[in-house]
Amino acid sequence: MKALVFERSIPKYAAAAIAGRISPGRGARVGPLSLKDVDGPTPPGPGWHRVRPRLSGICGSDLATIDGHSSRYFEPIVSFPFTPGHEVVGELDDGTRVALAATLACAARGIDPSCPQCQAGRTNLCERQAFGHLSPGLQTGFCQDTGGGWGHALVAHDSQLHRVPEGMSDETAVMVEPTACALHAARLVPPDGASGAVAVIGAGTLGLCTVAALRLLSERPVLVSAKHPHQKLLATGLGATAVDDIERGVRRTTSSLRTDNARADGQLTGGVDAVFDCVGSRQSVTQALKVVAPGGTVVLVGMAGTTSIDLTPLWHREVALKGAYAYTAEDFHDAFGLVAQADLGRLVSALYPLDRYREAVDHAAHAGRRGAVKIAFDLRTERR
Amino acid sequence: MPRPGFVLDVDRSTPPTLFWHGEGYRLEQLPPGSRVIYPPEPLAGLPDPDAAIRHALRNPLGDSAPLPDLLRPGMRLTICFDDVSLPLPPMKGPDVRQRVIEAVLDVAAEKGVDDVQLVAALALHRRMTDDELRHALGDRVFDAFAPNGLLTQHDAEDPDNLTFLGQTEQGEDVEINKRAATSDLIVYVNINLVAMDGGHKSVATGLSSYRSLRHHHNVRTMQHSRSFMDQHRSELHSSNWRMGKLIAASGVKVFQIETTLNNRTFPDQFSFLSKREWEWSAKDRALFAASSKALDRTPTRLSRQILHGIRSPYDLTSVQAGEVEAVHAQTTEHVYRQQLVEVSGQTDVLTMGLPYICPYNVNSVMNPILVMCLGLGYFFNLYRGKPLVREGGAVIMSHPTPWEFHPVHHPSYIDFFDEVLADTTDPLEIEKTYEERYATDPWYVHLYRTTNAYHGVHPFYMWYWGAHAMQHLGAVIIVGGDPKAVRRLGFKPASTLRDALEMAEDVVGRDPSITHVHTPPLLLADVR
Amino acid sequence: MSAPKSLWRTVRTVVREPTWPTSVPRPPVERRTGVDFDTDWSRRYGVRLARAVVLDGVTRPLLHAVASPDIRGLDRIEQLHGPAVFAANHASHVDTPLLLASLPPRFRHRAAVGAGADYFFDKRWKGALWAFAINAVPIERNRPSPRSVRLAGSLIADGWSLLIFPEGSRSPDGWGQPHHPGPAYLAARAGVPLVPVHLEGTRRILGKGANRVRPGRTTITFGAPLYPETDEDARALAARLEAALAVLADEQSSDWWSARKRAAAGTTPALTGPAAPAWRRAWALPNGPRRRSPSTARPWPHLSDWRT
Repeated sequence: MKALVFERSIPKYAAAAIAGRISPGRGARVGPLSLKDVDGPTPPGPGWHRVRPRLSGICGSDLATIDGHSSRYFEPIVSFPFTPGHEVVGELDDGTRVALAATLACAARGIDPSCPQCQAGRTNLCERQAFGHLSPGLQTGFCQDTGGGWGHALVAHDSQLHRVPEGMSDETAVMVEPTACALHAARLVPPDGASGAVAVIGAGTLGLCTVAALRLLSERPVLVSAKHPHQKLLATGLGATAVDDIERGVRRTTSSLRTDNARADGQLTGGVDAVFDCVGSRQSVTQALKVVAPGGTVVLVGMAGTTSIDLTPLWHREVALKGAYAYTAEDFHDAFGLVAQADLGRLVSALYPLDRYREAVDHAAHAGRRGAVKIAFDLRTERR
Repeated sequence: MPRPGFVLDVDRSTPPTLFWHGEGYRLEQLPPGSRVIYPPEPLAGLPDPDAAIRHALRNPLGDSAPLPDLLRPGMRLTICFDDVSLPLPPMKGPDVRQRVIEAVLDVAAEKGVDDVQLVAALALHRRMTDDELRHALGDRVFDAFAPNGLLTQHDAEDPDNLTFLGQTEQGEDVEINKRAATSDLIVYVNINLVAMDGGHKSVATGLSSYRSLRHHHNVRTMQHSRSFMDQHRSELHSSNWRMGKLIAASGVKVFQIETTLNNRTFPDQFSFLSKREWEWSAKDRALFAASSKALDRTPTRLSRQILHGIRSPYDLTSVQAGEVEAVHAQTTEHVYRQQLVEVSGQTDVLTMGLPYICPYNVNSVMNPILVMCLGLGYFFNLYRGKPLVREGGAVIMSHPTPWEFHPVHHPSYIDFFDEVLADTTDPLEIEKTYEERYATDPWYVHLYRTTNAYHGVHPFYMWYWGAHAMQHLGAVIIVGGDPKAVRRLGFKPASTLRDALEMAEDVVGRDPSITHVHTPPLLLADVR
Repeated sequence: MSAPKSLWRTVRTVVREPTWPTSVPRPPVERRTGVDFDTDWSRRYGVRLARAVVLDGVTRPLLHAVASPDIRGLDRIEQLHGPAVFAANHASHVDTPLLLASLPPRFRHRAAVGAGADYFFDKRWKGALWAFAINAVPIERNRPSPRSVRLAGSLIADGWSLLIFPEGSRSPDGWGQPHHPGPAYLAARAGVPLVPVHLEGTRRILGKGANRVRPGRTTITFGAPLYPETDEDARALAARLEAALAVLADEQSSDWWSARKRAAAGTTPALTGPAAPAWRRAWALPNGPRRRSPSTARPWPHLSDWRT
């Protein structure tokens, strides 16, 4: 079985980190990711099924891993070698199409009684991600035992599988996973607020999905910062106001002032109640802190890494900084409705066979510039 | 299996597109949403060209007898052949003309024909040099005929060597080469590079005089030929056909041989020029970078020499012989097979990169008039059905357009540019006021007859060639051209493609549709 | 545009592969690694000569120094001249060169080694190295594809012998692994004899997971060639091969007569070892579990181990 495998190799990490810095996505050429002929994963116990991926998306966190700048925080909760790919629509041996909720929580790990978080239904916050009868791994696609979406087969637990409705295309179904993340993030903020408006930073896959999720949950105005023309078009189509400069947009929408007009980095007097940072860089978090209203919330939807940020505004304006990781079963279930309603399948811009993974990763890393949103692997036509 | 032609929709993932720019080439980023038309890949050549030629001579098309049966001792045989304007660039030896003429001469020798002459059918083009003749005909033919005066070049201004055959029903004078007219058989050897070449045009144009030519080489005919690459809609074609029928009726027998080549235009080291940019290998990219930089930095004279030294490794894809019309019908099919690309819908802006060569500057300088002719005469007219660009649209051509003329080859061009274009660029006006004077100027006639100069009227024909385009288009913009020369032509100069596109928007409106023709190799757009 | 910028753009044009327009369908990838690695060049005369020089001048003396091979049973293949398929048990990277070097000269310089396409041929330089050094040809571990079957067939037809390890990969624990029917299939298909070869002692020299070579003694036992019978299917031949290898192993660890007797009684110990937990399998290995060398063992983990 063919699969892309991510191995533990310090020199290759180093090479990927250097290459990734020269040009994003370059890590795929020199780094620890390679196409291999491997044995398929075996179901580790009852309740597990073999899934043959049909489409499998490339996510921002995958790119960070490939380019060697994901946080070392993950080390204890991943296990090498793993096959990446956690945005998966696939089929079971009996031909049923399923979308994969990638998180590996207590149920999948065979831990009984499950941890308090899982008991409360917050499976994304499972406390046992390194334990149980599976190797450590926060999600399918970071775990040695399960395989991942970037290969011809993976194994998945009952608790992870969600049947794809008849008539939903694979392209739409592969968007369920990122949409579930976005929906989960959108739900972290109460749907009403003082000024009403919210801001989304970044109009990549996560940003656009977050816009769609916010639209589903409430009528409040959504501002989104979009760099590229196609992103603006899509964001507007999803019902948001697309702006080049989020600060200017927020200032005009909320009629707030800049504390020091002469300085470009001046804080706004007011701001929006909630900012969804779908990028996760130093600049984006700083920008989020600048445009959020006093007492508001900044939600980190995009994976953040090690950065240094001036937290004074956070302290001074009593801003809440919140993470948003993955989704619960409920989010995932509701995401099916959202992808269909907002027609998020159109965000899938290009499909690649596994053989062309370097080009695929390169395309994903430059998606904005190249007029694309989501890049995915197409495994439907591969010889199995 | 060669791939057919292809229309690319440019998106943000599309690498920059190759634009020829005179004696060089560049990569230009076309805006997303543009289209690029790529010619089909080269068809496979005939495995044994010589055998195919022999077979064609013995198995003629239409109501013609096989060549051996047409030949007998004591007859007058004249073999005419296309001049230096075909093919472009010149082909790597042996030239097809050499192969065919040798085959014909073999048969003639076998049949005991003694009176054989070779005539270069150059109409009002410049006389070929000995080297050019030698390249076209090969050493064996040249050495056997030239020293004995049996290899001549048609002289359209030699009253002693022309025969008036009559007038067509539309009053067109038909006057052709005397030697040909008085022969028992003319064998005409064609290279059909584009759909316009060949047929009755071979004899009726190639061997005729100014008196005859002016009936179809004029503004009215060219404006009614849409395009002259499409026989069914070409007034140029109809006129030549009427003349051809008259020539046949006056007892001149023509055995027509037509050949088609594939579009393997560039030798290996330049093969990237005909590849699709996203398929360029590392070698292609390195060759592109090295050659384009080098050509940019070499003096024009030298880069011109280098590029005019290119010999194309064309393969022969078909050879037909026999009666003119039957032969031409089949030939045209073969040309279409290699060149036709289906394109849906017209475009607001058509962009083209003009190379260093056109039919009238082989081993010479591409002067501004020829730039106009290549772009608006040839490339614009490479369509069937509707023009690629809509009426009122814009054409953007990329060429340095230097104010430079070859003093020997193009003497009348210099005066045309200085005197006529300074006055007006309207083809009808030019035709009315100036043509007669230039055509009959004794100095130009003298140069045409004794040196390697184009006829005095030739620049007019170049201008008429673009008459249809000039009537059709709303704007013509030349990127990177000498602004003075471009303005003299009546066009607008632009320094970059981006500027040119912005200028075009003033004429065709905002967010125009853009189409680029990725030639050479040549293609014929079948616009639906 | 400034000169350095223009130069940089030129360099980038050359170095960066162009991206494909999204609307253009991609042709399938032409793979030149793995099973698709072309090894024909490694059997040209000049390359063979160079390999023979390296094999006899470097590899063999080196292996004699490191592995001190004791070669037995050569008389059993004395009669064999044409191409054959040699099938051996597999525990170490030393196996392949050792077996190659131990073959009689008439086979040694005319043998190709079936090597895992994914491991030995995943990079072009690796493929080239192995193809040169041991005349490796790429083959799938699990089920040979039509392409590698064709390649093997044409090699045999050209008079080349094949060296294949039917277990598909090196033993992880010292015991044998289930056999793939590949070698038997190739032998049956080409109608050439299948020679079982038992290798003993290579695991101690460089076992799976070991990171340095420890010189030791090895024994190579050639078995009697197995001739595929008419209409015998590959599975039956593979079973015979497995049994023959088990008897050879038994013969090596005891003596020929007792091994024959146990073979006749059907009590030859299985190569795959007892079906028992890992520690008992390790315990039951003929030479006991592999020892870790004291030099690498630490009484207490260093703090640095925790930090990485």
